[in-house]
Amino acid sequence: MTQAPALPRLGTILETTAAWLLALVWVAPLLYAVWAAIHPTGYATRFELFAPLTLSNFAAAWEAAPFARYFLNTFALVTMVLVAQFVLCTLAAFAFARAAFWGSGILFGLVLVQLMIMPDILLVENYRTMRALGLVDTILSIGLPYMASAFGIFLLRQTFKQVPKELEEAARVEGCGTLGILLRVYVPLAKPTYLAYGLTSVSYHWNNFLWPLVITNSVETRPLTVGLSVFASTDQGIDWAIISAATLMTSAPLLLGFLLFQRQFVQSFMRAGIK
Amino acid sequence: MTITRRLALGGLAAAPLLSAPALRAQAPVEIVFNYPIAVGGPITRIIDGYCEDFARANPGFRVKPIYAGSYQDTLTKTLTAMRGGDAPQMACLLAVDIFTLIGEDAVLAWDDLPGAEKPWLDSFYPSFLENSRTAGKTWGVPFQRSTVVMYWNKEAFREAGLNPETPPADWAQQVEFAQKLTKRQGDATSQWGMQIPSSGFPYWLFQGLTTQNDVRLMNAEGNRTFFNDPKVAEALQYWMDLSMKHRVHPAGIVEWGTTPRDFFERKVAMMWTTTGNLTNVRANAPFPFGVGMLPAGKRRGSPTGGGNLYVFKSASAAQREGAVRFVKFLTTPERAAQWGIDTGYVAVTPAAFETPAMRAHVAGFPAAAVARDQLEHAVAELSTQENQRVTKALNDNLQAALTGRKQAAPAMADAQAEAERILRSYR
Repeated sequence: MTQAPALPRLGTILETTAAWLLALVWVAPLLYAVWAAIHPTGYATRFELFAPLTLSNFAAAWEAAPFARYFLNTFALVTMVLVAQFVLCTLAAFAFARAAFWGSGILFGLVLVQLMIMPDILLVENYRTMRALGLVDTILSIGLPYMASAFGIFLLRQTFKQVPKELEEAARVEGCGTLGILLRVYVPLAKPTYLAYGLTSVSYHWNNFLWPLVITNSVETRPLTVGLSVFASTDQGIDWAIISAATLMTSAPLLLGFLLFQRQFVQSFMRAGIK
Repeated sequence: MTITRRLALGGLAAAPLLSAPALRAQAPVEIVFNYPIAVGGPITRIIDGYCEDFARANPGFRVKPIYAGSYQDTLTKTLTAMRGGDAPQMACLLAVDIFTLIGEDAVLAWDDLPGAEKPWLDSFYPSFLENSRTAGKTWGVPFQRSTVVMYWNKEAFREAGLNPETPPADWAQQVEFAQKLTKRQGDATSQWGMQIPSSGFPYWLFQGLTTQNDVRLMNAEGNRTFFNDPKVAEALQYWMDLSMKHRVHPAGIVEWGTTPRDFFERKVAMMWTTTGNLTNVRANAPFPFGVGMLPAGKRRGSPTGGGNLYVFKSASAAQREGAVRFVKFLTTPERAAQWGIDTGYVAVTPAAFETPAMRAHVAGFPAAAVARDQLEHAVAELSTQENQRVTKALNDNLQAALTGRKQAAPAMADAQAEAERILRSYR
C-alpha cells in the first residue's frame, strides 16, 4: 500500500456515484410505471408533484382481462417447471458428475449443444410433438419442452464436481446408499446453486411469451404474459396508465419475491458463480 | 439432450393418436377462428357474441374464436400451428398478408368455396377488394378495415383564428394551418401543429402522402415496387419539411401508439391516424373534434388497411360450408353496420351504410361517414411478395430520412434497391 490515502477515497466516491447512477437508470422504467399507474391517464406524460392519486387504473386493468385465472395459470406453470427441472437436472447432473459410464462425455456434449439452440427455432417441431401427444392448449404443454434443462444440468454438474469425494466416502462408510448420498450430501451442499437457478428459471418462465402464445388457445391455460398482450391494442392507441398498472400487477409477485429474499439471492449468485 | 427427449416422446406419441378421433360423432361442426386483438378490451365480447348468435341460428356449426395478441402474433401463431399440422379453419389476418398466405399455400380462394357466389363477393367496397384479390381470385373477405383520416381539435382551431369546421384542403393549406396552430414558448413547443406517426409501420401513413402525390408504390402482382420514382421522394420531402423546415411537426420518430394521447392532451392540434381510433377519440377527447379526409396534394388519397377473413386449406367440406355461412352472417348489412358503429372500423359494404341503424349513427355523428366518402380516393395498402422484408426496407429508409440520417431521394433509392433484390426472383 504505497498509495496516498486521498486516492482510495476518491475511488470509493467515484464507484458509489457510478453505482447510484446505474441503479437509477435501471430503476427508472419501474418508477415511471409506478407513476403512470397511480395517477389518472392525463398525468402519464406530465409531472406534477401533487397530481391526484388513484387506484382506478388497477381496477380497470383487473376488469379488462381475467387476471386471477392468468395468475393461477402462471403460478401452476412455474411451479411445475421448477419442480420437474430440479428433479430431472439433479439426477442427470449427478450421473454426469460422479458416475463413470461409457459415452458420458459424448452425452454431456449433446446436453451442452442444447444450450446453443434458441428455443424459438424449435417452435414448429415442439408444436408437432405436443400435438402428437394430444397436449395442445394445456399448461403441461407450455412447460414440457423446458423441463430437461441443459443449463440446469450443466450448472448442477459443475457444483456436484466441487463436492469433495471424502464426504461421499464418509457417507458410504456410515451406510448411505447412492440415493441417500445424493439427497443428504450433494443436494444440501448445492443449495445456493438451486436457489440461483430457481430464480432464473422462475423469472424466465414467468416472462416467456412466444411459445405460450403459440401453444395455448384459451383463458384456462394462458399465462399472464399472453393475457397481458390483450393490452397491446395498437390500432386504438396506448393507454399508458392502464398498461403500467397491468404490468406492475403481473410483475409484482416477482418483484416482491426478489425484494424479500434479496440478500439470499445475491449471496447464492455469488456462490454459484453466476454473475 | 434434444435426442434423448425426442426419443422418449416418440414412444409416448403413438398412444393418444390412436384414441383421439373416436370421441367426435354427432357434435356440431367446429370451426376454429384465430382472431387478433388489434383494438382493446371489449372487442372479445363482441366477437364472442357473434359466435353465439351464429351458433343459435345455425345449430349444425360452432365457431370457436381463439384470441391472439397483435396481427403479427396471430400470423406467427397461425403459421406455426399450420406447419405443426394443426391449422385453424379461419383467421382474421392483415389484408396485406395475402401474398404471404398464398405463398405458404395456406389459404383457399373464396370463389372456390361452396355458397360464396360472385354477387356476394362483389358487394364489398372496391377499394377494400383491391387488397383481397390477386390472380383473378378473392382470397380474403374484408372485415375489420380502416383507412387513414385526419382528426383536428376544434378548440385549437378557434384559438388560432381558423374556422373550426374546415380542415385543411390541400398540402399548402395543411402547412399554413399547422404553422398557425403551433405554439412556441421560447425554444419549447407546447402545441405542435400536426403529427403523422412514423413508428412501427411508417409506410402506411407515407402511402397517404405518395397517393396524394399521385404515385403508386407497387404493382398489382406484388412483384415490383416504385420507391425510386421522383414523386415518392417528393412526398417524403414534404413530410420531412414539416419538421425540419416549417417546424410544425415534432422532429424524429413520432410514436403511433401515443399519438392519440398527445391529441387528447392538446400536445398536437391535427393528427393523422386510423379510423379504427374513432371510438377511442370520441370517448376520450376532452374537446370538440373534427374528422376529415386527408388533405389533397395533386389528388386526394389514403391507403386502406386492416384485416380480412381467410379460410385455410385444413378445412373439411363441412367446415368450408360453415365458414362461408359464418362470414356471410358477419357481413350482413345490419351486422356490418353495428360492427362499424361499435368499433369505428369502416363498414365493408355500401348496403351497410343504407341500414336505419347506420343512417341514424351518421346523422348524429357525421365523422362516421368520412372514411366511407374517402374510400373512392383510397388505394390498396402496400403489399408485395415477401411483404415483411419489402416493407421493412421501406420503413427503415423512411425512418432514416425522418431522423435526418439520409436525404429523401437517396433513402428511397436505397429502399428500391433492397426491394428489387428481394423481388427479383418473383418475376
